[in-house]
Amino acid sequence: MKFIKPSSLPDLFDRLQNYEGRKFFLAGGSDINIQIKNRMIRDEPIFYINHLDELRGIQVVDDTVIIGALTSYADIISSPILKEKLPFFRNSLKLFASPLLQSVATIGGNIANSSPTADILPLLLVLDAEVRLLTRSKLRFIPINEFYTGYKEYVMKTNEIIGSVHINIDAEKNWLAYYRKVGSRQSLTIAKLALAGIMKLKENSITAIKIAAGALNEYPRRLTTTENYLKSKRKEDIADKELKEVLTEDITPITDLRSDKNYRFDVCLNLIKEFINSY
Amino acid sequence: MKISFNINGRNVKLDVDPMRRLLDVLRDDLELTDIKESCGEGECGACTIILDDKPVTSCILNAVHADGKKILTANGISKTRIGEILLDCFDQTNSVQCGFCFPGFYVTAYHYLITDGEPSLEKIRYALSGNICRCTGYKKIFESVIMACERLQEGS
Ligand SMILES: Cc1cc2nc3c(=O)[nH]c(=O)nc-3n(C[C@H](O)[C@H](O)[C@H](O)COP(=O)(O)OP(=O)(O)OC[C@H]3O[C@@H](n4cnc5c(N)ncnc54)[C@H](O)[C@@H]3O)c2cc1C
Ligand code: FES
Repeated sequence: MKFIKPSSLPDLFDRLQNYEGRKFFLAGGSDINIQIKNRMIRDEPIFYINHLDELRGIQVVDDTVIIGALTSYADIISSPILKEKLPFFRNSLKLFASPLLQSVATIGGNIANSSPTADILPLLLVLDAEVRLLTRSKLRFIPINEFYTGYKEYVMKTNEIIGSVHINIDAEKNWLAYYRKVGSRQSLTIAKLALAGIMKLKENSITAIKIAAGALNEYPRRLTTTENYLKSKRKEDIADKELKEVLTEDITPITDLRSDKNYRFDVCLNLIKEFINSY
Repeated sequence: MKISFNINGRNVKLDVDPMRRLLDVLRDDLELTDIKESCGEGECGACTIILDDKPVTSCILNAVHADGKKILTANGISKTRIGEILLDCFDQTNSVQCGFCFPGFYVTAYHYLITDGEPSLEKIRYALSGNICRCTGYKKIFESVIMACERLQEGS
């Protein structure tokens, strides 16, 4: 295991050039250290980045809330900006692990570790967040929707890092929002399933809806077939059988240590119904 | 790699592998055995320390994370006025049985006392939710923290 501590962000990019292939970035360390313990990381170079403070912090620029990749969950939860502008997003993240983990875990690490169960992803998906990727000479914005391509696979290249996450300041304004994380206990639990949804209702008709689930597919994603089915439906016209059919198209539930496929399918269905019926 | 930090008020300089677990550096090199290891995966809180004003589990951190920082452990806390009051409350409520989880709870509870201190069961439960106890149970632990909050509010 080769350890590299760059002196600055430009220095990081310079030094990245010297290494081909897979590498790791040590931010909070809450995933990496477990992976080292389980021998999932062996010889790959590890670049320490947790001291690169320009990658940390929350600010508003024009109509966008920008959250630096090294921002911790504790920073997010205690941010007055997020409390005011994105309260649904902020409140939902209180369910992340435990306060002890919240001050260590970073949002960039959560996204890059790309676990299907990462708490933040269903939320970022319904809020149409974008990820800003940085390299030495260029930066690009990737909608979170297009970031993952498979189980622990993403479009980010090995010489790129996540710089920040961008969310429109009005992303949740005037939307009815829902988030529920289902686990075996309340704190320190990895989700068996997590569902985030936002919708607009006019009388009893759904005029707009976005739903995303985590811990369901090999990577979290929007349930677009289900969304299309629900859109412009009156609530009382939603048929259980039809909802099941469309949901089947959206998901290929995974079986893991925590739960099997059928359980996950049923819970997902129930959460979608709970979301819609709670308004 | 050379790292330096302040631990329980003392400045230390060490030459260590930056990727070594912070827990091991503190326990083995500095002999701070008040920090316990149980799960080794961030789940139980036995290894909790305060790193730059925030309670964290030291088993998922590396030596490099401590460089230039300030660390407080149960040993250091027990020498402060608030730490003494908290210790007395744990004592009075008989919240410690086997004692293995205790330093972790103690550190997290101390942080709650100095940053919030409201004797609210709900808040205390949330603040301590990263610490696990397998014998006494949580009720007495929560009672001792509430007692400490009240004593501090009374200014005793
Ligand atoms: C006890 C425990 C409980 C947990 N509970 C939860 C939970 O409830 N919900 C949840 O979602 N997760 C949970 N996790 C997982 C973990 O805490 C999160 O994924 C966390 O956000 C990772 O952030 P980090 O900074 O610690 O990442 P690190 O371990 O430092 O890095 C993780 C990965 O991301 C990469 N990386 C880090 N930063 C960047 C960057 N800026 N650009 C590119 N790549 C980067 C690293 O190379 C590495 O592969 C838990 C972990 C533990 C140990
Ligand atoms: S030993 Fe560190 S949290 Fe359990």
